[in-house]
Amino acid sequence: MNETVSLPLKITVGIILALVVAPLFVPVLMSISDTPYIVFPPQGFTLKWYGEVLANHEARGSFLFSLELATIVTVVSLLLGVPCAAGLTRYRVPGQDAVLGLILSPLIVPLIVTGVALLQVFALMGWRATLMQLVIGHTVVCLPYVIRSVSASLLLVNRNLEDAAAVLGASPHVVAMKVIWPQVRPGILAGGTFCFIVSFDDYPVSMWLADGNHFPVPLYLYTVIERSFDPSIAAIASLMIFFALLLVLVIEKVFGLSLARLAS
Amino acid sequence: MSHTESIDVPERVTPHVTKLRANAKAGAFAQRTAKVWELATGTRMAGYLLVAPAVLFLAVWFVWPVLTMVHLSLTSRVVEGVSVEGFTLENYVRLFSSDLYFRILLRTVRIALLTSLFAALFAYPLAIAIARGGPTLARLVTITILAPLLVNVVVRSYGWQTILNKTGALAWVLKMFGISNPPVLLYTEWAVLIACVHVYLPFMVMPIAGAIGRIDRSVEEAARVAGATRLAVLMRVMLPLSLPGLAVGASLVFSLSAAAYVTPQILGGNFSPLLGTLIEQQILTLNDWPFGAAISTLLIALVLASNLIFLKLVSRRFARWTAGAR
Repeated sequence: MNETVSLPLKITVGIILALVVAPLFVPVLMSISDTPYIVFPPQGFTLKWYGEVLANHEARGSFLFSLELATIVTVVSLLLGVPCAAGLTRYRVPGQDAVLGLILSPLIVPLIVTGVALLQVFALMGWRATLMQLVIGHTVVCLPYVIRSVSASLLLVNRNLEDAAAVLGASPHVVAMKVIWPQVRPGILAGGTFCFIVSFDDYPVSMWLADGNHFPVPLYLYTVIERSFDPSIAAIASLMIFFALLLVLVIEKVFGLSLARLAS
Repeated sequence: MSHTESIDVPERVTPHVTKLRANAKAGAFAQRTAKVWELATGTRMAGYLLVAPAVLFLAVWFVWPVLTMVHLSLTSRVVEGVSVEGFTLENYVRLFSSDLYFRILLRTVRIALLTSLFAALFAYPLAIAIARGGPTLARLVTITILAPLLVNVVVRSYGWQTILNKTGALAWVLKMFGISNPPVLLYTEWAVLIACVHVYLPFMVMPIAGAIGRIDRSVEEAARVAGATRLAVLMRVMLPLSLPGLAVGASLVFSLSAAAYVTPQILGGNFSPLLGTLIEQQILTLNDWPFGAAISTLLIALVLASNLIFLKLVSRRFARWTAGAR
């Protein structure tokens, strides 16, 4: 049973994988086309569409705003999520199942509904603070991922190591920093990274809460796709794809996390 | 000699003694703080205090809004905007009695079901490659499947637009095969379906790969030794034993595609809207909040029902099979 994966299966897998990456490659090919409209195969070669996009104020503004928003959301989610995960895994909280159910429920309700529900509440309150509202909306969506990821790594912490350190004279502070932290770090990193990505890519919550001055990248991309047809859209799409590839590299090489772990 | 020395010693040592005393004091202080820390963290209160901020946050900004929305869906609309008057089911009646809205609901369910079905068909070969292939193959498939998740959904949908366009990649490929007048797929339900399968495929592959990975290889080997063909092993061993993974994947993909907004908008245009588009129109364009709230509530109900059905159905069948095996 060495050959568990047969050749026909390998060929099928190859075809499916080609179909999976095709929609990511085609825009990149089209972005270098020297035509005022989108065409396949691309004709000629030019990088002017990239120049146009990079010089575009709106595009840069949206990108910077999304970075800012995702950073704030990640910090807030970690501040709320890490203690919560610690409380859930290390202490007996009465009604633990109910608490867990509440925390994971934003994963079940469709994002578009979460967004519209928040918009209704904000409207009823008569509260206008777009950035705050976006942060709240994204944090509702991201918090469950952070808590799940950090809880998973906290459950794996070996309690014997803590006891050993304590017996050898380590103070609680030292135990926390030198024994628990190294074991929990990957979970917090994974949760934080995933949180950042979810916030950066969010469309269905932002579409309700954003306004002209606070306009995240996904919304910007959507409006561009709706209103123009030249290859500059393909260029933006390609830039987003390169950005994602960069993220994959950073996650795998710098953080030492595998993608599979992030998605689990 | 010894006498004078014993007088000398304290003088020489005095600074050390004070230092030691200070150290002891510091030690006692450290011990006391440790006690306080232990007391604080050892009690039930600590658990509450740690959990409370996140729970409060979600109660205020998730539970309350969703409940408010459900409540709003049971009120009727006064001339403009939000209204909270009286109890009525008129929004739901309207949703089911109007031909237009009912068709959108049916389309949503149809696309979500078909997306789950096709995603499962594509997912099995990939999941088997991940769970049963060598480490290189498994890693290659995993990364290729998961990496697109990092690419924005708007971009992925746009990618399909560039393929299905009249001057797109698909038309070009078909022309090479001599089909000069290919069917126009863009802005049809097919385009929405294709893109939804692509966007949500990872959510099907990973649970199934997990379920297959948990199947004992010796079960498959036993079937092979007993004379089963590869196909028989797949259909009668792998498929039934991986059903829990399929159920998780199917409920995820169904929920996600039923609530999809971006992909149907970009690929279906205004010709095949789903419930998500309807919510957006009712609230942002027509300002009919109660009706929008009713559609949103229906969407939640749809998602919950699908989760229940997929997971319950399979767990019951599964229980019967494993009971039969014993």
